[in-house]
Amino acid sequence: MKLAWRATLLTLAWLPAASVAAEEFSFDATEFEKQPFELGGYLEFKPDRAWLNRDGAFYKLNFYNRATPDTLDRNTGTLKLNGKYTQGIASINLRADVEVRHDNLSSDRIKRFDEAYVSLKFDPGFTLDAGKLALKWGKGYAWSPVGFVERPKDPNDVELAREGYTMLAADFIRNFDGDLKTMAFTPLLLPVGSQVNQDFGKSDHVNVAAKLYFLYQDTDIDFTWLGNGSRTPRFGVDFSRNFSSALEVHGEWARIREVELRSVGPTGVTTTQRGDATSYLLGLRYLTEQDTTLIAEYYRNGTGYQDAQAQDFYRLVDNGVTQFLTTGSDSMLKKALSASQSGYAKPNAMERYLYLRGSQKEPFDIVYFTPSLTLITNLDDHSYSLTPELLYTGITNLDLRLRATWLKGGAGSEFGERQNARKLELMMRYYF
Amino acid sequence: MKKLTTLLLCLLALPALPVAALDGTQILQKVDRNLEPESYEMLRKLINVEPDGKKKEFVLYSVKKGRDKIVALFLAPSSDKGRATLRLGDNMWLYIPEVGKPMRITSLQSVTGGVFNNADILRVDYAAEYNVEATAEEKDQYLLILKAKTAEVAYDKLKMWVDKKVLLPVTIECYAASGMLIKTLRFKDIKDFGGGIKRPATLETDSPLYKDYKSVMLYSQIKKREFPDEVFSLNYLPRVEGLRK
Repeated sequence: MKLAWRATLLTLAWLPAASVAAEEFSFDATEFEKQPFELGGYLEFKPDRAWLNRDGAFYKLNFYNRATPDTLDRNTGTLKLNGKYTQGIASINLRADVEVRHDNLSSDRIKRFDEAYVSLKFDPGFTLDAGKLALKWGKGYAWSPVGFVERPKDPNDVELAREGYTMLAADFIRNFDGDLKTMAFTPLLLPVGSQVNQDFGKSDHVNVAAKLYFLYQDTDIDFTWLGNGSRTPRFGVDFSRNFSSALEVHGEWARIREVELRSVGPTGVTTTQRGDATSYLLGLRYLTEQDTTLIAEYYRNGTGYQDAQAQDFYRLVDNGVTQFLTTGSDSMLKKALSASQSGYAKPNAMERYLYLRGSQKEPFDIVYFTPSLTLITNLDDHSYSLTPELLYTGITNLDLRLRATWLKGGAGSEFGERQNARKLELMMRYYF
Repeated sequence: MKKLTTLLLCLLALPALPVAALDGTQILQKVDRNLEPESYEMLRKLINVEPDGKKKEFVLYSVKKGRDKIVALFLAPSSDKGRATLRLGDNMWLYIPEVGKPMRITSLQSVTGGVFNNADILRVDYAAEYNVEATAEEKDQYLLILKAKTAEVAYDKLKMWVDKKVLLPVTIECYAASGMLIKTLRFKDIKDFGGGIKRPATLETDSPLYKDYKSVMLYSQIKKREFPDEVFSLNYLPRVEGLRK
């Protein structure tokens, strides 16, 4: 009896183990059969606290007429919904974005389609897309001077989805044997009117643009072009190449013709200069033997403000604040606000920048944990932003990110005049 | 009699000596073809196992053409769904739908984390990347010493033990140029996938660099299929899902 009891116990103890061993690695491929309609996306909650820089020009400009606390606490909820329906050669693609933001001072809502287009794939070498599309051109990580038909990238969050423009785009691909392996041509038409793509540029134009891609001798090369229309004409070239199993080098060069560069003087007088501008970028990505990924990029913004022009803008804000305090009139500040919205407040609106990012894969044997440090510095005034970040992706379909940012620089410097002095942010993103 | 004794001694000594008569390159080419047809599609589940038994799983749909063109599309988990990777020879790219443009990646990085790196996930024919430096014969296995053809290849040297009967790899040790063992790959569970494809359905790996961690690849639905060249291009990466039937 004792023996039978022991045998039963042993069998019971062994059974789950055997079952685990059998089930430990199983793969039922039928769960992944193709469906005509697919839905996915993510839900994100992002609380952040910003410590305001009361000496900064952008703080004064944004808050001159209202009392503010020392910190601004904001909660942002985001829903990104992706849907795709495929029938024969046609597919309907949707990427919706719903955001709700609330902070101490205001609330804000965004509801839009980042993308909504129909795609017709006539054969693997020819596709036609019509609708709202987010095309991304260029090889740069933090900036893309050759991205002529896209909304600008935020260097502080380069993987953030961006809203597209409504267009008609074709894509032709041809592959070859030999040094030239691939050639692809992407021409597109981008209309601008009162109901469509209003923020692209001047109204009542059908803009023509194109990208020609080559994979030649293991190097990616793109030629990009935007014809005269809502924006002045421009053309560019980019490249990217792996020089070893650990080193990638890339670059971009863009020439913008007859561009209007508007700057504002310390009294609010606007000056317009017209001329050609050249922007370029050179960067690399290197993986060390210790699994540290290093990204470095040098960016020359040909349409950026010179240091003297930035100083004039900051003086205008100071003069405006003085005017407001002494007379109660905010006319100069309104001019500064308008100039800010049309250029000065854009991320990295000045001339020369360096981007450095180091990320360590899975340190201390903690898998799916990636700490990183990002530095963006204005090489002309030596101000900078420093962003340490901790990312954990170990829980299936959940990303957790803790990020802090310090903005440092003297009076009259780009990062020293920003609205925030530092920021702490937690992001929780659940994919479904 | 003396001649016969000498002949017998020579025959007995043969297995211990390098096998000059064997063509290592031919063995390697057969290993490549026995593992997969030259052009195929397949599903894979990749499982990363942590020391405490916690697992993270990825499912990939892959298509390959020729010796060195391969695309892999993530079907799961939801956080990675739609990501696609392309390899053309030594060139590798990753397409993330949110980012919207392919970016170059290197063979030593890993798009999934864990022990498998990009070279393992986007593996092309061994004969496309390695030359056979030496061949030896052991009891029921061949041992191939493989040397990388270029510096872009992820591992400088491989020691590949091949089952003599079925000409399929059993174990592969992967070494860095410094001579350091980076990882060991173990092929298991030979299964008939149909269409004349009979190969290991499980690939396990561990690494002295990731102590007590393990990664596993499970293969399913390997089928011969021809694809046009245009499928293996950057512009096609956002549309790879359309290849699935």
